[in-house]
Amino acid sequence: MNKKRKTAKSATSARKAKRPARGALSVATSARKSVKQRVAALVEAPLAVCENDENLQAVLNVLRNKNEPVEVRLAALQALQAASFSVVEFESCRGDYIATLRKVAEDPDPELRQRVLGLLAREKDGFAQKKLLEGLKNPEKALLPPEKALQLLSYDVHAEAYPVARAIVSKPPNAAAKREALRLLAADATAAPLFEKLLRDKDELREIRQISASALQSLKPEKLQAHAKELLLDTSEYDDIQATSLTALSQFGDDEAIGKDEALLKSVDRLSARASTKVKQSARRFLSKYGR
Amino acid sequence: MQDVATAGAQSESQFAALVAALAADPERREQLTELLREDHPFYDQRGTATTVRMRGWVLLALARAGVSDAALLFVLEELDTGVDAYLVAAAARALRSYPSPTAAFAPFVMRALTNIRYHDEPVSFENYGEYADSSTGASPVRELLATLAWLGPHARGVLPEVESLRAQPGGLSKKLLIEVDRAVEAIRGAEQVNELGAATCCALPGGLSNTFSWALSSRRGCEPIEQTVFEDHEGAAITFKEFFRGHPSIVVFFYTRCDNPLKCSLTVTKLARIQKLLEARGLADQIHTAAITYDPAFDLPERLRGYGQNRGVRLDARHRMLRAIDGVNALRGHFKLGVNFIESLVNRHRIEAYILDGEGRVAASFERIHWDEQQVVDRTIEVLKEKIDETASDLSPEPADPPARRETASLMFGTLASIGVAFFPKCPICWAAYLSVFGIAGLERIPYSPWLQPGLAAVMLINLASVWLRGRSTGRMRGFYLVGAGALAIIASKIGLGWENAAVWGVALTLAGSLLSALSAKNRRLAAPGS
Repeated sequence: MNKKRKTAKSATSARKAKRPARGALSVATSARKSVKQRVAALVEAPLAVCENDENLQAVLNVLRNKNEPVEVRLAALQALQAASFSVVEFESCRGDYIATLRKVAEDPDPELRQRVLGLLAREKDGFAQKKLLEGLKNPEKALLPPEKALQLLSYDVHAEAYPVARAIVSKPPNAAAKREALRLLAADATAAPLFEKLLRDKDELREIRQISASALQSLKPEKLQAHAKELLLDTSEYDDIQATSLTALSQFGDDEAIGKDEALLKSVDRLSARASTKVKQSARRFLSKYGR
Repeated sequence: MQDVATAGAQSESQFAALVAALAADPERREQLTELLREDHPFYDQRGTATTVRMRGWVLLALARAGVSDAALLFVLEELDTGVDAYLVAAAARALRSYPSPTAAFAPFVMRALTNIRYHDEPVSFENYGEYADSSTGASPVRELLATLAWLGPHARGVLPEVESLRAQPGGLSKKLLIEVDRAVEAIRGAEQVNELGAATCCALPGGLSNTFSWALSSRRGCEPIEQTVFEDHEGAAITFKEFFRGHPSIVVFFYTRCDNPLKCSLTVTKLARIQKLLEARGLADQIHTAAITYDPAFDLPERLRGYGQNRGVRLDARHRMLRAIDGVNALRGHFKLGVNFIESLVNRHRIEAYILDGEGRVAASFERIHWDEQQVVDRTIEVLKEKIDETASDLSPEPADPPARRETASLMFGTLASIGVAFFPKCPICWAAYLSVFGIAGLERIPYSPWLQPGLAAVMLINLASVWLRGRSTGRMRGFYLVGAGALAIIASKIGLGWENAAVWGVALTLAGSLLSALSAKNRRLAAPGS
């Protein structure tokens, strides 16, 4: 009895919550209202989006319509995305939603395009991946800047993006693209030699070298340990690279071997005296771990 | 004209043309099935999305040309484990081209519907590689509902599940609910079908099997991979020969980056269940298990360990997660693995579990469709039996398995102790007389040791307790009753009741009971698993 009452109560409160949402939806889809009003209304709309087919189609039409103000279209996308979090309730809307996203993926507005492709990429959508890869291979067809495309492709380890990422690393269109390509390759088991080379290259940007250290930890942890030790023994090495090396050794290293490595401990001891404050702190923590 | 055999590095459009040509030619139509094998050269160095497009196109060609018995397993596999909308939709459509619907298909279709319904999306079947941007055409849920309608009364076993699709809150769209109604109407149809109710969870239609066995004489030797070096979940190195020879093994393949929860994750979880079944039968020491990764370059020991532990896998010296240090190529050849790669990353694989005999040869395999853990264990026990039979008939120099040897030793020791107690001499003179009777003159100098009798009595009692424990574990107590009666007879002969002759009966009963107990335990180990 109680259970029935509770269920009825929660159904009633859900209906009550949806009432303003329905009202908001009629404002959101009305071309007579101001952009500000419509955007504000779409914030309230997610609960009602999937209530019936008419509501869904109304919001999808706003998203599809290139003549609508882009702010309203972005807000419609936001409302749909919020509604999609309720996987079960959204089931009846999913097909139309995905179809519309694919249609809007090539929209002239770059922000809308980027967000739509982002949503599709998170779904590991084959269409989005194909478009992103095409754009990386042929920049004239690119829907997004290369660094963004690489970031979205990295959501799916099976996205066939490694060859194109390697090509970008060897001939990067910009520094951000190279950085994202390397982040993507951090899951490529065959890329360890590339990361070893980059980690040891003093001419390389330090951010790239740090990404390389992190990738090596994932792909070949024993190689990172060996390089970290050598980097710490190298007195001409940069402080922040040595700090990264310290972290690698103290967090993932063989404590027994490190504790017996006098040359290494001496080198860290020197670092604790001469390096920048942050590195000094890391070095001291490292030394105290090994009883120095 | 290009052929399946000359796959090489053809473009996707060439592949699509080949598929169309094969589908149109009744003489070569069977080659379409060959194109569904994951290890086909066509899929080598293609990405996952490309592989999906290619396989989907083959399934659609089969939908036009008709699914043969040979292709049916591939179609059902996609319904059983598929999570890609395009492939599931194409498989559902292909199934409808099978010559006749059968009740065994219904659970596959229903399972696919359950797996895919929250990932439903529009798919395009018009042109190769096309993605739908309109929801008016095909979708996996729509195709599956159409297949249920095609099954008609044959799907009566899943009717309650189909009807429940209507009842759920949120649920399917209005357009799809019309399809549900159509399916329900078709299932309820007037046509009577003899096999109604025959549909069970994982049964395959008659004549179709996902299990393959090889007789002892026809098994391929494992010499080419005997020296293949693995690294296990602890980072320890071991060769194929070291781990797989000398006992049967159950081997499954997986990789930690597999994003289909119905494949690798479930396979490894099922391996954990197999291990528990083996433990329950006291066979965890006699049958090894291994989960070998397809992706050894990425699946380092720590990843293997975490993946196994998170799925309840027992990990020790007999049960390991392994990566082949020099790559999986040698293993691909030996096991004929259903897998392909782009660089070192898997692009597509089937579900596969193998049973290896004591020589490391493949004795049985379970492929594509989800296997039943009990079935795998039962089949492995048959292989274990065959190993013991072989050992017995060949008088192999290989030592008997340790538990059996221990049991024999304990039986002999316990029985000898009972004999010792029964015939222990009462005085030093009797002691000397015994030794003289046996003619061991040289031993006359051994002093009479009265403490020996309680010692022998204690061993006799230990024997009694061990027979009782064995009886409890096998559920067969007759041996214990005989040994107990024997012990009582021996005690009665020793406490001055004048029943000295009872000692002989006591020894005989002890001997018979101990033998019976040991034989019961051995028979249970081999026969109990319902085989």
